[in-house]
Amino acid sequence: MGSIISLANSIFNPIIALGSAPVMLIVLTVIALIFRVKWTRALEGGIRLAIALTGISAIIGLLTTAFSAALTEFVKSTGIQLSITDVGWAPLATITWGSPYTLFFLLLLVLLNIILVLLKRTNTLDVDIFDVWHLAFVGLLCIFSGGNLLIATILVLIIGSMKIFNSDLMKPTFNDLLHNENNPMTTTHMNYMMNPIIMVLNKIFDVVFPWLDKFDFDAAKLNKKIGFWGSNFAIGIYLGVFIGLMAHQDPKAIFVLSFTAGTCLELFSQIGSWFIKAVEPLSQGISNVATKYLKGREFNIGLDWPFLAGRAEIWAAANVLAPIMLGEALILPGNHLLPLGGIIAMGVTPALLVVTRGKIIRMIVIGALELPIFLWAGTLAAPFVTHTAKVVGAFPAGVAQNQLISQTTMEGPIEKFLGYLVGHATSQGGSYILYALAALAGYILLFIWYAFQMKKRNKAYAEAATTTK
Amino acid sequence: MIKILTACGAGVNSSHQIADALESEMKTRGYDVEATAVMVKDVTESLISDYDIFAPIVKPDLGFEIKIPTVDCGPILYRIPTMAQPVYDKMEEVIKSINK
Repeated sequence: MGSIISLANSIFNPIIALGSAPVMLIVLTVIALIFRVKWTRALEGGIRLAIALTGISAIIGLLTTAFSAALTEFVKSTGIQLSITDVGWAPLATITWGSPYTLFFLLLLVLLNIILVLLKRTNTLDVDIFDVWHLAFVGLLCIFSGGNLLIATILVLIIGSMKIFNSDLMKPTFNDLLHNENNPMTTTHMNYMMNPIIMVLNKIFDVVFPWLDKFDFDAAKLNKKIGFWGSNFAIGIYLGVFIGLMAHQDPKAIFVLSFTAGTCLELFSQIGSWFIKAVEPLSQGISNVATKYLKGREFNIGLDWPFLAGRAEIWAAANVLAPIMLGEALILPGNHLLPLGGIIAMGVTPALLVVTRGKIIRMIVIGALELPIFLWAGTLAAPFVTHTAKVVGAFPAGVAQNQLISQTTMEGPIEKFLGYLVGHATSQGGSYILYALAALAGYILLFIWYAFQMKKRNKAYAEAATTTK
Repeated sequence: MIKILTACGAGVNSSHQIADALESEMKTRGYDVEATAVMVKDVTESLISDYDIFAPIVKPDLGFEIKIPTVDCGPILYRIPTMAQPVYDKMEEVIKSINK
């Protein structure tokens, strides 16, 4: 036994010592080969992931270096403790994909999906491999908070099953929103796991503010008016000016801050596309294997959320919520995140669209009410994100060690709290066990209530379809 | 050279998958195409006027009339060849009709 371990160590230790980017190159390539991807395509994916990790580190460095001095001054002159830099989704995705555990969770979730399909518990075949990182993030946060791999895996599988059930529950609503019955599009995306809470707020809205619906406006027209003023680089400019002024910087420094933020926000989305391409060969390989063995059944296909992005309400609500979130971040007790990279709330608005079915005023009001949950979850996850960025080599060496990074509008804020509580319950026991059990019970019961509501909605859709036929 | 504009939510995932798939399939069929991926919210009247074909994931409501041919490319993302085939055929038909 000892000799096997020392043999394994002598093989793996030098590889691990190479650092995260080469390790991920090897791991992703090997896993793609297991799914019978052609070796050149598999290797291409591995190399692309390695350069995405390297690239994201360079841009985080650019952003945090430019902003760290100004943020310190900002805190001094305003007394507002917003010291965590919001880097948006792309760096978080890269960091999460830089952990081999993410590939482990991916494999288990693929198996879970296949088992649920074979047992006919779902009709959804999830081909959105890339977005597994949202759920892997919860598992990693659970481990970081003290959970062991087994407990983290169980948590990931529970939430993973609920995501798949949710995709079936939402399918008729997607058909309604897209005005198209003949498409197999659905999604297991994590942002829709906010649906149960939004539905509670929506029910309250029904009772208290139904008259507000009269003021719904044309979202497409609003977006057209906003034009480039709502684009990534423009938002970077506003925040640079805002922080520069609050930190009493001179005009030259304000220009540097603004243009650096604008540049970084544009580059984050560019690099985001690099690792979509990185996992592309693996995604296709998994889909090929899955469809080969599941012939003859009609499936809903689980995609990334943006097949709903054609609905103008998503963007109108995100544009209106951006300044609201900035205002909330300044006054919210317990929040230390300054909105920047994640300020366009794409992790928030698709779920609002699904539950309210496009009632724009409701989307904005409910969005404003739930944003604090995202800000707190982002603050809670910051030490973990920063630590993991350092471990996978995606954090710049020159930046102060106490500089934290996170994201304001990352998908699955509730699940982050669950990961945190379950992790602490595993390592510390005591009252954390009670909190974790209560939170899990509340989470599951709320989902069951939501499922019941959605089934009622789906029954109404089915009845409407038969009466019109 | 036919210029195609693809669009999705973040302009990084679905739209890039569509852009890559269209470029490689149309190249196989003997057409010279270049596909650019953007966020739906960044599609403006002036941007779209620089392209020959619009290839969104689903037809979006942009608040203005789209004056170039539009081909919904969502089915490319299902990763099932038989479902992507009609989209490619439609795209080829549109490219031929542009006759550039």
